[in-house]
Amino acid sequence: MAKVVVVTSGKGGVGKTTSCASIGTALALQGFRTVLIDFDVGLRNLDLVMGCERRVVYDLINVISGEAKLSQALIKDKRVDGLFMLPASQTRDKDALTQDGVEKVIEELKADFDYVICDSPAGIERGAMLAMYFADEAIVVSNPEVSSVRDSDRVIGLLDSKTRMAENGQSVPARLLVTRYDPERVELSEMMSVKDVAEILAIPVLGVIPESESVLKASNQGVPVVHDQQADAGIAYLDAVARFLGEDRPMRFITPERKGFLSRMFGGRR
Amino acid sequence: MKRLRSLFQRDNAASADVARERLMVMISQDRLQRNQPDFLPRLQKELIEVILRYTKSSQEDIQISYHSLPQQAQLELNVTWPSRS
Ligand SMILES: Nc1ncnc2c1ncn2[C@@H]1O[C@H](COP(=O)(O)OP(=O)(O)O)[C@@H](O)[C@H]1O
Ligand SMILES: [Mg+2]
Repeated sequence: MAKVVVVTSGKGGVGKTTSCASIGTALALQGFRTVLIDFDVGLRNLDLVMGCERRVVYDLINVISGEAKLSQALIKDKRVDGLFMLPASQTRDKDALTQDGVEKVIEELKADFDYVICDSPAGIERGAMLAMYFADEAIVVSNPEVSSVRDSDRVIGLLDSKTRMAENGQSVPARLLVTRYDPERVELSEMMSVKDVAEILAIPVLGVIPESESVLKASNQGVPVVHDQQADAGIAYLDAVARFLGEDRPMRFITPERKGFLSRMFGGRR
Repeated sequence: MKRLRSLFQRDNAASADVARERLMVMISQDRLQRNQPDFLPRLQKELIEVILRYTKSSQEDIQISYHSLPQQAQLELNVTWPSRS
């Protein structure tokens, strides 16, 4: 049975799209047929992070409005078998995103995939609400920072009230992915710890992704960072997906690296 | 080393704690509001108007709090005003 997973946060710029790309890639690498849907109408960028922007012909809105078939709009990943994405539209006409339309697309995808991952736009408008509405599970992305955590809490409230599962009297199981984590600043008490954030939000932790230059490098190249298994963030995403699939893995990169003299002099972290 | 640094960074030293405290307050308010019925602000306003019409209370003497319990909702109303007047 296919699972629909929403990657959501409330606040923008916290790492949802980055996380979607890497989580989807890692699931496909594990052999699960996976499709990513970009719900950010007007601001699409999942295709950029996946590195397939030049192959976008049709998008989600085209499929919903019947201008294209789903099979025409799906883009197959060049690097990983069984990984596809459905881009968002550049048009501003957000009203074209209808609940019935989204439901049809998701139902059709469920027949063919193991995981349907929905990349939510920021905010709590239509796109974000529809990205979460059909979810069986949620990954709440949060930075250890006041406004991000507050927005995450609101989104958890919406998952509990404004989704199909909620309307059927259930709640969407949600897990926390803390991103852009800087263990050194946590140790100096300048940044909230993952424990702080998890206690406030009261949901289980799926993973901690460190602040890392490798993420920028990866998105410059259009290669999801999880492909870079030399990089802390890449390893952390792989760990998070292993936990997502039920494996019990200790958290890494949550304490500062004890750097030797030489590396302190000559090299930063990647 | 850490202690030395924090000596020079007094202001920052506990900023994570400040963030946590502020968040806990904000979020508990958010959560209360989230569970409130939409009409509650209007109901509160009208209740206050009625009470002020009959008593010599001032706004601060009227406390209305809403509680959402598993089986039922509860509105708690506390009003004080000077007696013998
Ligand atoms: N772990 C990280 N380390 C450093 N930069 C990051 C990290 N995660 C995300 N970023 C950067 O933050 C910005 C916003 O990320 P994005 O995934 O687009 O967020 P969202 O989809 O939530 O708006 C991007 O420039 C991205 O490269
Ligand atoms: Mg995004």
